[in-house]
Amino acid sequence: MERTPSQTIGPFFHDALRWRDGHRVSFSEPGTDVVLAGRILDGAGQPVGDALVETWQRSPTGQTPAACKDGNPYGFARVETAKDGTFRIETRMPGGPAPHLDVTILARGLLKPLRTRVYLAPEEEVRADPAMKPLAGSPRLKSLVARQEGGEYRWEVRLQGDGETVFFSA
Amino acid sequence: MNDLSKRPDHDPPYDYPPYGSTRLRFPREPLLELPAGALDVPGPLVPKGFVRDGDNDLTNKGKSAPLGEKMILAGRLLDESGRPIRDSLVEIWQANASGRYDHVGDQHDAPLDPNFHGLGRTFTDDDGWYRFVTIRPGSYPWANHAFAWRPQHIHFSLLGNAPIQRLVTQMYFPGDPLLDFDPVYQSVPDEAARKRMTCMLQLDTGIENVALGYRFDIVLAGARATPLGT
Repeated sequence: MERTPSQTIGPFFHDALRWRDGHRVSFSEPGTDVVLAGRILDGAGQPVGDALVETWQRSPTGQTPAACKDGNPYGFARVETAKDGTFRIETRMPGGPAPHLDVTILARGLLKPLRTRVYLAPEEEVRADPAMKPLAGSPRLKSLVARQEGGEYRWEVRLQGDGETVFFSA
Repeated sequence: MNDLSKRPDHDPPYDYPPYGSTRLRFPREPLLELPAGALDVPGPLVPKGFVRDGDNDLTNKGKSAPLGEKMILAGRLLDESGRPIRDSLVEIWQANASGRYDHVGDQHDAPLDPNFHGLGRTFTDDDGWYRFVTIRPGSYPWANHAFAWRPQHIHFSLLGNAPIQRLVTQMYFPGDPLLDFDPVYQSVPDEAARKRMTCMLQLDTGIENVALGYRFDIVLAGARATPLGT
């Protein structure tokens, strides 16, 4: 069977895809609470205020998140960006080495989603991650590493141009 | 990369000048390949209670019926090997019969319909089937180019059963003359692939004397780890 092509999410998805507490990720296991405070900018440095951000990650014990009985699915966040391009995700530190969240960005002007990754770990640890081997010597690796500031992890995504974030082919 | 070059492009490119909004949003740097299988794991697993009875009927949310041509939209969610994707969340949104979204950002000067909000969700069943009751959406102008009007379409969001299967797309109607002029539809390079975004009139999917029937099957990536649902 041949795949159905992707199309842009457009500007009118908000009410349809907004989940209650979509920005708050739950798990069956306890763990360390962390906040990812992100911002998305376009090729002119302007905020992308109409994006949908989804994240997927391992549980605090390093497992693929289990099924749950109610609420939102474990391990998954869905949040829209505010007009200033910011978003905020409250989650728990993923278990295992080089903890990270896999990130999907959908927006008007994106005919297919952008996939990236944000590490909540020191840069040396990220460089040592086998998945990042192609970037081990590249200054662009920094674009995937959140910095700790004021008890939060801060991460800026640049869709295009100077300091462009590393994106992945699906 | 080698595998990708062997088959026609399913998906549009990021950089597609006829669709103006891509201009400042497409990545210029080459994409990096994630190790195979990184996203080919089960999840996210959406609990059953997420959808309530009736969430798949967009026509009973007001005091009376919405304006427009009532339709039943049904189809199957499948993976590339043709297996049904079970218990998977399907979310849709659309304009009303006048071509207006019930969304604060929609400035098109066409009337809202108090009986139609254009939002629906459902789960696929054991054979991958989904079904919605809705109305046929109208076309609407947009500022992309002179005399730009979107063909009639319904937006679909599919989670599949693995992160690799995530798909957001738009479903179009057969024979819509605006398809020839729509850069979003035309952004898909392969003609056969474009046609896979068009539904099919299927009269017996409808309800006699009540609603027309349309069939739209959706095929998602990633057959390897497709779980069979919970």
